[in-house]
Amino acid sequence: MKFERIVDAATAAALRLDWFRDHLAPVSVYGERVFAAIEPFAPQARLAAQASAHRIAALASAFDDALIDAVRDVLRTTPDALAAIARASMGDHLSDVHLLELMRFADAVARIDAICAGVAGIEPMAGDALREVARALERGRTGTSGFYLADDFDDGLARARVALAGAQAEYDAASGRCVAEIMGALHRDDLPEDEFIVMRADVPGALPQGVRVVRETPTYWLCAIELDDAARAALERRDAATAAHANAEERVRAQLSAQVREHADALEALASALGERDVLVAQVRFARLQRCCAPEVVADTSIDAEGARFSPLEAALAREGRAYTPIALRLDDVAVLTGPNMGGKSVCLQTCGALAVLASFGLPVPAQRARVGIFESIAWLGVGGDGEVGGLLSSFAREVVRLRDLLDRSSERSLLLVDEFARTTTPYEGKALLIGLIERLRERRVRALIATHLDGIARASGAVHYAVRGLRGVLQKAPSGNLADALATLAASMDYSVQVVGSEEIPHTDAIALASLLGLDDRLIDAARNALT
Amino acid sequence: MRATNGVNMRVGMALLDRARASGARSIVVIGTGKNVGKTVAVRAIAQAAHARGLRLGLTSTGRDGEGVDIVDAMPKPRLFLRAGDVLATARGSLPDAPATEVLDVSKLATAAGSVAFVRVRADACYEIVGPPTAAGVRSCIDRFFDFGCELAIVDGAVDRVAVLAGGDDAVVVATGAADASTLDEAVADVQALVRRLSVPAYDAREPFVRIDGALTPTLARALAQARDQRQIVVMDPTQIAITGHTFLGVNERLRLRCERPLRVVAVTAASIGRERYFEPHAFARAVAEATGLPVYDVYAASAAA
Repeated sequence: MKFERIVDAATAAALRLDWFRDHLAPVSVYGERVFAAIEPFAPQARLAAQASAHRIAALASAFDDALIDAVRDVLRTTPDALAAIARASMGDHLSDVHLLELMRFADAVARIDAICAGVAGIEPMAGDALREVARALERGRTGTSGFYLADDFDDGLARARVALAGAQAEYDAASGRCVAEIMGALHRDDLPEDEFIVMRADVPGALPQGVRVVRETPTYWLCAIELDDAARAALERRDAATAAHANAEERVRAQLSAQVREHADALEALASALGERDVLVAQVRFARLQRCCAPEVVADTSIDAEGARFSPLEAALAREGRAYTPIALRLDDVAVLTGPNMGGKSVCLQTCGALAVLASFGLPVPAQRARVGIFESIAWLGVGGDGEVGGLLSSFAREVVRLRDLLDRSSERSLLLVDEFARTTTPYEGKALLIGLIERLRERRVRALIATHLDGIARASGAVHYAVRGLRGVLQKAPSGNLADALATLAASMDYSVQVVGSEEIPHTDAIALASLLGLDDRLIDAARNALT
Repeated sequence: MRATNGVNMRVGMALLDRARASGARSIVVIGTGKNVGKTVAVRAIAQAAHARGLRLGLTSTGRDGEGVDIVDAMPKPRLFLRAGDVLATARGSLPDAPATEVLDVSKLATAAGSVAFVRVRADACYEIVGPPTAAGVRSCIDRFFDFGCELAIVDGAVDRVAVLAGGDDAVVVATGAADASTLDEAVADVQALVRRLSVPAYDAREPFVRIDGALTPTLARALAQARDQRQIVVMDPTQIAITGHTFLGVNERLRLRCERPLRVVAVTAASIGRERYFEPHAFARAVAEATGLPVYDVYAASAAA
């Protein structure tokens, strides 16, 4: 998937798009080719994007997990037949390994057609071309999935093999006679055919006839057997039969290759179809596992979702047996998001970004309901989106440079996700910068969600103000003092849902209580509380 | 009668019997260098396995069985295989004729293409280009048994002993005149290799220090300087990254042990090299004395123990 068409590397990292790529990935080489070439939909093609997402979501209901696994098991073990098809199309004779790959390719298509038979919206892939090639190769099938140029392919091949076996037997008998005579002369009961050592002490006179000396040393001869005339004649006949046999095998390969060449275009198209099926099944699997819905893909650039989830985090929490709180959010302008530390502000931004990316690629989204526009660029500014640490620029300077670049590239179809911009400068000036940013984004009609701890931004800029609901009651310190328990205590106390804040009230950040929960020194915590009061 | 195709049946039988007596289902032949009779030893074992009616799987940690050496263009011993043998070899190394039965194509990559599993249908000489990685070779051995093979043979290499890790193979070490200037040097080389591969199992009742990963010369030197009297335990002998005379010295000063010992069952000695030869009986006797293992000369058909 060409995520890079709409996000840069920093944004891809912040949105965990590697996780999405892994979970949408097909399993076959055919699928990998298709997957690598997937482009986002253009805004003008929003209906096509919507149709794509609806089709995947509908198939997610039609498929079950066992069916998906069965298709993927077949795809996973299907060898790549494209090289064989390409070679045949150029007139090459295919090797037996190529022919096996084509046979298994045909098997895979037939099996997947059989598995998917009866699933609404899924058409069979196999056509006459594949059936004809499969029929031709079938004579070479050994066991369930092996391939051999069997005698059945051609009478001439069968005759050549009989002739070769006869010639080989004749040569074996003739050369065996030579060996037996030499063994007798040397009083040996075992003698190699090519090079062997004869100790001088073991042979009082000359070496027997038919033994050729390869090398002499003071204590032994390195010898080889020299065939007699009859054996040499038999060897020549054997070699001739070997050549005839090789020609007969190659003739069969040529015939099979010609059949593949005749249908090369259709087979190549089928390889693409198999790849698309692999990608589709992977998307259906993703939609089922992530409980996705098909978004309504709208003409404008807005995001309006209920029950939306950020799948990588949801999966991580599920592994620890913890629940995930979906969010509802509407973004059709610039909005400000506030909330306590560890309250899920960044996840809220990630959720928006992921919904926008998935919708742009015509995919279902992890939400109960969603209306999403197609964005031409999605960018992340702030925590998690800045790969560089150190260097000549300070943290603040790096953020500013990145913001400058993002603003230069932004358009009416841009989505900007801002995570605590200007957190490293003074709150007074940081607030001013954020107000200025919102004003500039509005001028350019960029959609943006801006997470911040600074107060008064929404009121000053007139932006919609979302807030994470935050802690329910007083946060109690985890009794055991370990981090996992502290996180569980926090999760139990935190309401991660977001709501529109009517007035510009300052949400309680609970930073000191959180620091205490995470094990910061009690005296430091007490001092901080005193300072606050 | 049919000729025995350049192998010594008696030596092959002896090697096969020793390997099977150790309980191994696979045999890895490791040479001390190039042209030391490794492929001849593999042929001998294969021939013996054929005579015993065993279904055979063969692979290599490199390129073996080719007609001429691709490095120096000198003739090399061919690998003659019988119908029914299963090969794991690069698809590009398969002959056009005689056709083989293609059983599967793996994702193991070699310079000559991915590794294919084929069953020999006609007796002939075959070239084997096996997977370059130890894990690849081990997966080939596993697949051989899936295909009904009763014995797996790996034509190994001295610089690929990692292939022995994690297996329960019988190991045959091949040495020869081609790999050393003098008989003494050849004997010392094979002694070091055999001793390294034969490092015994550790005794958990006695003090030991476990080495995570490889025992390198630097680490060994530090342990020796500290006069560490404990058992120095590596996972298996392939984790000892010290060879030749250096190893023999380290082995004198440290109590080298391992968690998973290997089974070195025999040595083959090729007294003939391209540029030199050793007196066959003297060479075999010296190797036997130095290694404590039975030694078979695959050319002279002699044995020493």
